[in-house]
Amino acid sequence: MSGPTIDRRGLLGAGVAAAAAVGIAGQAMGQGAVIAPGVSKADLAAALKAMRAVVGDAWVAGDAESLRPWSKSYTPDPTGRHAPVGAVAPENVEQVQAILKIANQYRQPVWPVSTGKNMGYGSTTTAAPGQIILDLKRMNRILSVDTELCTALVEPGVTYQQMRDYLDEHNIPLWIDVPTVGPIVGPVGNTLDRGVGYTPYGEHFMVQCGMEVVMANGDILKTGMGSTKNPSAWQAFKWGYGPYLDGIFTQSNFGVVTKMGLWLMPAPPVYKPLVVRHKKMEDVARISDAMRPLRIAGIVPNVVLMMGAAYQLAMFHRRGEVTTKAAQVSDEEIATFAAQHDLGMWNTYIALYGTPAQVAESERIIRGAFAAIDGDVMTQEQMKDNPWFHHHATLMRGGLSLEEVGLARWKGAGGGLAWFAPVAPAKGSETQGQIDLAKQILARHGFDYTAAFAVGMRELHHIIALLYDKSDPAEEKRADDCYRELVTGFGDRGWCSYRTGVHAMDLVAAQYGETNRAVNAAIKQALDPNHILAPGKSGIA
Amino acid sequence: MRRWALLPLMLVAAPASAQTGQALGQTLAQRSPAKTYASICAYCHGHNVGPIILGRKLPVEYIQAMVRAGRNGMPAMRPTEISPAELDALATWISKAPKDIKEHGQ
Ligand SMILES: Cc1cc2nc3c(=O)[nH]c(=O)nc-3n(C[C@H](O)[C@H](O)[C@H](O)COP(=O)(O)OP(=O)(O)OC[C@H]3O[C@@H](n4cnc5c(N)ncnc54)[C@H](O)[C@@H]3O)c2cc1C
Ligand code: HEC
Repeated sequence: MSGPTIDRRGLLGAGVAAAAAVGIAGQAMGQGAVIAPGVSKADLAAALKAMRAVVGDAWVAGDAESLRPWSKSYTPDPTGRHAPVGAVAPENVEQVQAILKIANQYRQPVWPVSTGKNMGYGSTTTAAPGQIILDLKRMNRILSVDTELCTALVEPGVTYQQMRDYLDEHNIPLWIDVPTVGPIVGPVGNTLDRGVGYTPYGEHFMVQCGMEVVMANGDILKTGMGSTKNPSAWQAFKWGYGPYLDGIFTQSNFGVVTKMGLWLMPAPPVYKPLVVRHKKMEDVARISDAMRPLRIAGIVPNVVLMMGAAYQLAMFHRRGEVTTKAAQVSDEEIATFAAQHDLGMWNTYIALYGTPAQVAESERIIRGAFAAIDGDVMTQEQMKDNPWFHHHATLMRGGLSLEEVGLARWKGAGGGLAWFAPVAPAKGSETQGQIDLAKQILARHGFDYTAAFAVGMRELHHIIALLYDKSDPAEEKRADDCYRELVTGFGDRGWCSYRTGVHAMDLVAAQYGETNRAVNAAIKQALDPNHILAPGKSGIA
Repeated sequence: MRRWALLPLMLVAAPASAQTGQALGQTLAQRSPAKTYASICAYCHGHNVGPIILGRKLPVEYIQAMVRAGRNGMPAMRPTEISPAELDALATWISKAPKDIKEHGQ
């Protein structure tokens, strides 16, 4: 049976007693989990014991049963090497410091997560094996909201749902900007992985301001203005003085972020979502070229999604409705189904924000640009209850939704998803070659091309959802192989990922060159000489 | 085409039991089962992604096990996300809850 066994005690500590009786042996840990190199089973057991003394028994997990919630991931892991060997959940900064001290003492690596829902990138599994998840979700205080500066300071465990609830319950007319899966994820984890959302504040690291970081040696660093005698500008001015440090704590393993400042957007008087539909796959180049000047000039202010029809269909439909073949679904099959559902082959979602006059003028310019390349510009009134329009109209105003997780059910029930996200300049000439290459590699492994492009200020993130059936071990292995071929095949052409899952971090790092790796390694050595923080993150040992 | 519930309206019309009452500088207090359901489960269940689970008298232990382990497309929820006390109350509430006609299947 594929169903779960019943966790009768339902507690984080459930099973700890049982594990203690047999000793923290290999079979007692997460499935297939492997201990970290240079760490003995006795060290791991001693580290977990010491951590229990810090946070209490209920907030440490060290056996397969209690670790179950941390072991679930959509990403491929055919050999089980990414499963954690433990989890510890502190409730404050002092406990984080104490845990890092223990980790140093036993050389036992810990992998920090904030809300821990990095779905399709590994969730709470780790790059190198044998790590304890440092789960910061309990630290969920909203520390301040400044309604004049439109800023907030939050702890790692705060979700976007919590932010939204707080603002609504206090009638504060500020928006949040969410990634597609807002309710169960949060601004700290998302920003630290340099995630994106779809309002004008969609590039999250751009609207981050000030961090508190616990260093591997326990020191507490406040970046930007945070350490001055008057830290009231901490959330107002990003750069502080001297080298700008915040960046080295994103997509890295140089410290544990325990507070983060962010900027919030005032609710605009008028919000107007639009979709531009195009009928042909080849239109992608024209759309990119038309969009670039509009984005650079700020006439289109938000992070735009150019959604391919197959990706859109995979959100709300199952593969069997579109094709009966096992081989890659064809453009023709997709086009037919899409047309029946009021979708184009490309569906480009834009939104306008501001006064009625501002919005009207921008709309006029945008309509002109897309009329010139045969795009249908459609409004809310025209799209009526079209579920895709509704979904994107929700996202572009920072609304909460999880419906896109339906993707994980496109290909069988198995829930397999790995994001492949190479970056290119926002030029039409960079698009078709990528699509051809992606289709070729995916087809070789029997997967569909379900993809979108996100248009930032000057770049395109090609967002390819590698959807597979994780309940089939052979398919999981094929997905892993396919992903590697995507990384190397695209890398050879200079299209490298902006972010990747725990299963491919080294591979992607290799594409950014030896000097980059050496500089990162030197920083790591200086800041974390025992390599206790998330070894393997972004390919940094 | 099926009817699509306009989810965002839920936020505006949220009843008192759906409030968190979180104050600045304080951790999130234990949420009511209705609030936990609305904040997490309802975004998927009866909303395109997961099967309807209200009004089915599903066993409490089965619900708890699903939440902690996840299955296929359903992510696992850690005790740090939904506390043991919240899960106990939630599972009992779901098990007894009537069907919600605003929810739709897949
Ligand atoms: C259907 C679907 C759609 C998605 N859409 C989007 C999208 O639109 N945009 C997007 O960005 N993502 C998207 N995602 C991916 C992912 O779910 C989100 O990015 C999510 O916000 C990341 O998880 P999190 O916020 O819980 O971060 P976490 O999992 O908490 O953190 C992510 C990583 O950052 C590092 N980290 C976290 N906290 C700390 C800390 N305190 N100190 C040091 N390092 C830390 C760790 O390496 C950690 O693994 C999507 C996923 C799915 C399944
Ligand atoms: C991100 C989407 C998502 C969220 C959030 C989610 N679920 Fe699920 N859930 C699913 C999916 C998908 C399935 C079907 C799993 C399968 O295919 O095996 C499922 C299945 C279940 C089942 C089994 C139903 C059956 O018919 O046997 C239960 C019980 C359940 N979920 C409870 C919950 C509870 C309680 C919550 C909130 C705490 C929750 N889920 C949150 C997606 C979700």
